[in-house]
Amino acid sequence: MGAPAGGNARREPFVAWPVIVAGVVFAGLLVAFPPFRIVTKRAGDAPAANASTGVAAVAAFDAVAFAEKFWSDQLAPAAARAPGATLLLADLRRDPAAAAKTHAHRVGLGNAAFYFVRGTGRVTAVERSRLLLEIDGSVVALRTGPVFGNVVRDGCGLLDVNQVPGLTEFNALSAELNRLVEARVQPPLKTVAIGATITFAGCAEAPESLPAAGPLLTFIPVTVEVTP
Amino acid sequence: MKIPRLLRVLASACLIALTLSKVASAAETKAAGNRKVAVVVSTLNNPWFVVLANAARDRAKELGYNAVVFDSQNDPAKEAQHFDNLISAGYSAVLFNCTDAKGSIANVRRAKAAGIPVFCMDREIEANDAATSQILSDNYSGCVALGQYFVEVVGEEGKYVELLGLVADTNTWNRSKGFHSVVDRFPGLKMVAQQSADFDRTKALEVLEAILQAHPDINAVFCGNDAMAMGAYQALLAAGKAGKVKVFGFDGADDVVKAVAEGKIAATVMQFPKTMARTAAENADRYIKGERNFPQRTPVAVELVNRETVHKFGDYGRK
Repeated sequence: MGAPAGGNARREPFVAWPVIVAGVVFAGLLVAFPPFRIVTKRAGDAPAANASTGVAAVAAFDAVAFAEKFWSDQLAPAAARAPGATLLLADLRRDPAAAAKTHAHRVGLGNAAFYFVRGTGRVTAVERSRLLLEIDGSVVALRTGPVFGNVVRDGCGLLDVNQVPGLTEFNALSAELNRLVEARVQPPLKTVAIGATITFAGCAEAPESLPAAGPLLTFIPVTVEVTP
Repeated sequence: MKIPRLLRVLASACLIALTLSKVASAAETKAAGNRKVAVVVSTLNNPWFVVLANAARDRAKELGYNAVVFDSQNDPAKEAQHFDNLISAGYSAVLFNCTDAKGSIANVRRAKAAGIPVFCMDREIEANDAATSQILSDNYSGCVALGQYFVEVVGEEGKYVELLGLVADTNTWNRSKGFHSVVDRFPGLKMVAQQSADFDRTKALEVLEAILQAHPDINAVFCGNDAMAMGAYQALLAAGKAGKVKVFGFDGADDVVKAVAEGKIAATVMQFPKTMARTAAENADRYIKGERNFPQRTPVAVELVNRETVHKFGDYGRK
């Protein structure tokens, strides 16, 4: 008589190591290559300031106060030590492109370039919104009418858009600098007569080529001294 | 049920092999993903933005990336969806032209939190700590030059209309402020209407048609972009006033540059979309390669295009 089938059969011992190894490998891979990431968002979690500029979150910007401080602390001292116009004008007459490379500075990307110089000249003409000055045989203009644009802001070479919260504020600063030119610098020029001598420091946009007629450059003055 | 030992070992080996192959596949996908750059543009319904997007895409491709263009259709909600998708798809960088200077900041922050740098093109976001860099047109300066030319050709007396772009875009206001910083100094120049046409040609046509009903005696129209300038010109043409009313645009779109040469449009301002797009793509490449020191904002100078200077310009830039 045979033994009952299966009654005394030995159970195969469970070999766990391949499963454990597979599990460990799988867990290791999950750690190394997580299938997803959880990013915590916090309302007040302001990112750090820009590494290059140090500008943090947009703050209230006072263009009037900024312009006043900039004018007294930076622009006026820079105007006193600006390079002389004589060399620039001589180079400009020879080759405007080469003169721009040597004497101009550029802002951002693009073709706009500016000069910031100091010079002394004799008034040869008084027009509605400008004076013409002769400096060592070259004729330049000093603007006496309304001041528009960014020639002072960009032309002085002392300001960068990343010093203020944004473009809107940078433009407000430009408008304020223009207002200061009109209020502080231009008034003595309104009564100047032909033959007067003017010492000035000012900013001008660099021309791509020599003008067919008229002044070589039109300066927005930031300082003037008039000798009748 | 008994499972033979050999079968269990084989099953475990298969599991490991399967896992490894999945992980390898994921790693490959991630590696490919690391070469992807998204170009998110406010709209492709305006040729100027098509040039911007295509120039960004093409430069990114030249630099070795798979570049995909996402059209937000001037809809902040669509823009947010694009950011959701590109974050989950593991893009390496975003070249971004936003729909809203304030509203788009959250999208840029989300990308940044996910480790994806964002490089703004042309349109500014009003935050200094979200985007890696912003390459921006100097719209204000461009419209100062345009305003000065406006006074020169329209004169110091007259009536004009201003068509504004999208009111949520800082460029709209930088252009308007630049223009008014000049024109408002001449009290004889009266603005009889100022209305938004959303930078859209068809809307500009409709808006100006309506304005002309109330103000048939205007001398000029200042438009915040070239698409609106073309729409305004169409409205004036239909009203029999083309040539009598001077139209001014902004952008330097090819059709408007040609119209300036033909004397249909008085002037526009050339922005340089290709320069901005290429610079943004190159900044992204430098970032991916490890550079971290970028100025937050870089202005791009713009230039006046009128009948005297138009010969210098074409194909969305200088010839």
